[in-house]
Amino acid sequence: MINLRQVSKQYRTDRIETMALDNINLEIGKGEFISIMGPSGCGKSTLLNLMGLLDEPTSGQVALDGKPVGRYGDRALSRVRNERIGFIFQQFHLVSDLSVVDNVEIPLLYRKMSNKERRQAALAALDRVGLSSRIHHFPTQLSGGQQQRVAIARAIVGRPGILLADEPTGNLDSQMGDEIMGILEDLNQKERATIVMVTHDPRMADKTHRVVRLFDGRQVQ
Amino acid sequence: MLKNYLKIALKILGRRKFFTFISLFAISVTLLVLLVATALLDNVFATGAPEVHAGRMLGVYRMTMKGPENTSTAPVGYAFLDRYVRPMAKLPSVERITITTFAESVVSYLNGRKIQSSMRRTDGEFWRVLAFDFVEGEPFTAADEENGRRVAVISETTRQRFFDGRPAVGKTLEADGQSFRVVGVVRDVPVLRYSSSADLWVPISTAKSSGYKQGWMGHFSALILARSPADLPQIKAEFQSILRGAEKQIPDPKEFKTLIAGADTLFEGAARLFLPGPPVVDPAIQLRAVLLALMLGFMLLPTINLVNINLSRILDRASEIGVRRAFGASSRTLIGQFLIENLVLTLIGAGVGLALAAVVLRIFNASGLIEHAGLQINARVFLYGLAIALFFGLLSGVYPAWRMSKLHPVQALRGRSA
Amino acid sequence: MIRHLLKLVWNRKRSNALMVLEICASFLVVFGVATLGLFFLDNYRRPLGFEWKNVWNVRVGIARAGGSPGDNGSPEQAVLFDRLLREVRSFGAVEAAAGTAVTPFDQGGFGGNWTIDGKNVEMALDEVTPGFADVMGLKMVAGRWFQDADSGLAWEPIVIDRELARTVYGTADPVGRPFGKPEPNERQRRVIGVVSDFRKSGELMPNDNFMFRLTDLRGHGRTPSNLLVRVRPGTSPEFEEALVKHMQAVAPDWSFEVLPLAQVRATSSRFFLTPLIVAGTVAFFLLLMVGLGLIGVLWQNLLQRTREIGLRRAAGASRAAVHRQLLLEQMVVTSLGVLIGTLLVVQIPVLDLIGVLSNRVFASGLLFAMITMYLISILCTLYPSTLAARVQPAEALRYE
Repeated sequence: MINLRQVSKQYRTDRIETMALDNINLEIGKGEFISIMGPSGCGKSTLLNLMGLLDEPTSGQVALDGKPVGRYGDRALSRVRNERIGFIFQQFHLVSDLSVVDNVEIPLLYRKMSNKERRQAALAALDRVGLSSRIHHFPTQLSGGQQQRVAIARAIVGRPGILLADEPTGNLDSQMGDEIMGILEDLNQKERATIVMVTHDPRMADKTHRVVRLFDGRQVQ
Repeated sequence: MLKNYLKIALKILGRRKFFTFISLFAISVTLLVLLVATALLDNVFATGAPEVHAGRMLGVYRMTMKGPENTSTAPVGYAFLDRYVRPMAKLPSVERITITTFAESVVSYLNGRKIQSSMRRTDGEFWRVLAFDFVEGEPFTAADEENGRRVAVISETTRQRFFDGRPAVGKTLEADGQSFRVVGVVRDVPVLRYSSSADLWVPISTAKSSGYKQGWMGHFSALILARSPADLPQIKAEFQSILRGAEKQIPDPKEFKTLIAGADTLFEGAARLFLPGPPVVDPAIQLRAVLLALMLGFMLLPTINLVNINLSRILDRASEIGVRRAFGASSRTLIGQFLIENLVLTLIGAGVGLALAAVVLRIFNASGLIEHAGLQINARVFLYGLAIALFFGLLSGVYPAWRMSKLHPVQALRGRSA
Repeated sequence: MIRHLLKLVWNRKRSNALMVLEICASFLVVFGVATLGLFFLDNYRRPLGFEWKNVWNVRVGIARAGGSPGDNGSPEQAVLFDRLLREVRSFGAVEAAAGTAVTPFDQGGFGGNWTIDGKNVEMALDEVTPGFADVMGLKMVAGRWFQDADSGLAWEPIVIDRELARTVYGTADPVGRPFGKPEPNERQRRVIGVVSDFRKSGELMPNDNFMFRLTDLRGHGRTPSNLLVRVRPGTSPEFEEALVKHMQAVAPDWSFEVLPLAQVRATSSRFFLTPLIVAGTVAFFLLLMVGLGLIGVLWQNLLQRTREIGLRRAAGASRAAVHRQLLLEQMVVTSLGVLIGTLLVVQIPVLDLIGVLSNRVFASGLLFAMITMYLISILCTLYPSTLAARVQPAEALRYE
């Protein structure tokens, strides 16, 4: 499903070149639940961004469903992100000036569909994460766990097939973290969602099918 | 501490160049407009040659005769002034009184060239109520006026036009079909000085016919010089009581019953001359209100704009503010710092605005849009400008500062607005 | 999408309120200046109704005896004025001459409200001698102009302009009809002719309801205070001196001042246009200021929303979509400001604050102000939103 071949990423500032990722080869199949682990600054998030087409590799190739995306323009990339990929972030990244349901609708705004369909899809996604009762609340009125559930609803509302989660439980206490993990596992099992999760909590990593470890931008295992 | 504040303020302003630039632009353009307007008003109302005694001078410029059907407003006639105002000179509080026409346009022909000038017919006292700067010769006297001598005081511009700027005293010029011998030359008077300005001053009695001596309405005004500014209220009251007495002797009592006029300061007089609408006893309040409304109306947009920019400047630094608050800075110190920063900005803007105003006024004076305008930024205009600037700086800083004080330290640290 | 943006703008009402207020105030400024300009332009395109080239106005200063208002001058003065007219006409360079109370293009004048056939009519008027139509090149559209013999009639003949004819008589033919009811001591007025237009105040002012009365120079009329002279094209300015010298010799007690109507016209346009130019310049700088301010504020707003923009990019919005959305969002804010401004402005005709503005001028002013505000808004959003759309989503999401 997601294929990374000899992918490297360098960051260049005025003077310094940093090697964020060095020759990564990774194949992720449909319906897999993978976690990426490693210490801070090892390149986990960079790797996730590359898989999510938010960033381009300096060298190497990223392919989605067997198709290399290296030559895609901004419009095509955006379209793939919109239709195939859902993101979940450690800081939730909810738009504080929009209500819960409006936040969930965001990915659907960039598709051609009626307001009604959009609303229905958003309500269904919120129902899926168990937040049907809070649709008109604003993010600041919710607990961290609830906010992350909204973020998950937003990630799945467009039925993308791939979920990329960047330390989804990092900002939550263990009970809320477990809840979120439960939802992700459930999505993986019931809806065959492919999930890639960055974490440095071994307890969470243990629940996934496979663990990829990074150290200083290199794949350790 | 203050020095420290100033240093920080300047540093911050230097760091955010774009915001500093737009703030400065807004402040200086606003002040430029207000300063030019102030200079213009100053040119009309303030004490200055020839009205060096403006502080203790009153004028009767215009009168309204009101009847059941008709209302007529016009400059005052000679007969009325001669009969009712001139005797006021006997009051102990009055130093002297002069009667003068308003400036009227007259034409001269010189070697096939046409020269238009404004001419004022006046009396000998005129030169002692007002203080003209004589560059040559001297004023004509009461005796000249009584004997109808064809003598004239001219302005420098008139001397330039008629005599190519060469000494003119003793020479003769022709105006409105009459010839006059020049006895004195004075510096130009701005045309907005409505109680004294002209290009050419000649005795009243040189008028072509004596018709001016009759009539309560006409084209005259009287200037009353009090002994001290403290006497003005009493003289004003005295004039009103004289006016009440005069009402009983209106020449056509069937048509007109009441008289409305005032012994006015320059400002009140201008209000009476320039304000449209029905005549009122005290027009100065109206003019003041109109000027204030104009100023506030004009300042509305720049103020909103500046508040908006200031708010952005603050939110831009939300995280910095968060850090400061986290390390124990109270809202008060932060607001203080912000207001000082704002004041520094305003003062720099005021400086730029002043410089721009000087340039604009120079261009304005050279354009001749208002004759002999001579608009300038003097100390008084500068002080007005400074006052306006400080008011402006405070006004546009208060709301943003209040918003800043409401910034929650934690949210501020996260870079979010309150 | 629009609904989403409306919600977003509404939920950000606190930070948007100031911008809406600013746009609303700017809108009012633009509307004011534009409407004044369009008002002048609209008037300028209509026919003036008279010819001012080669016409000189001689202001005649007469020392009136009585001096009190309503004074008509003595019969001797009228006779002397009549003689002046005849003397002036005897010059070869003079094509026509007439007396008038009012100088064309001059801001002064006579006028007021009359009640005519139960209608309250506001009009301006002038008192002229019969030569006036020739001097000013008036065009009759009905009836005839004054003749010398008209002074002796038992009723008072008047000539009105088309505007006044329409106001008082509608589509009916006014010639021969009585004009209002006479006051005591007055003769019944009767319309003898209609001229096309007479826009005494000049090209920049709207059409007046205008009425001409005849000045009787043989006894009991008011002596005109101006003498109009039409000179042959190409008459040298030196002639002016000769003319004044001659008049001065005929009437030594009077003053004379010659002003070509071209000069009166220039003074009059300056009187109207100077405030427009000053207001326009001030408005231009105000708008420049507002524009720069908006760029600053939008820039800051977008900087604060970097993460939101990153999130939208991650959720599949292309650069173009982000750009479009930000522009649209600003259009919503602008529309709010413009809407409030419009609601304020339409109170003017509702409250009947100004009667002179035609609906067309009013609507054009409104439209102009709207377009200007949208243009400024778009211009000011372009740069900040381009910057925002260019943000790398990966970096934007990391942005603190």
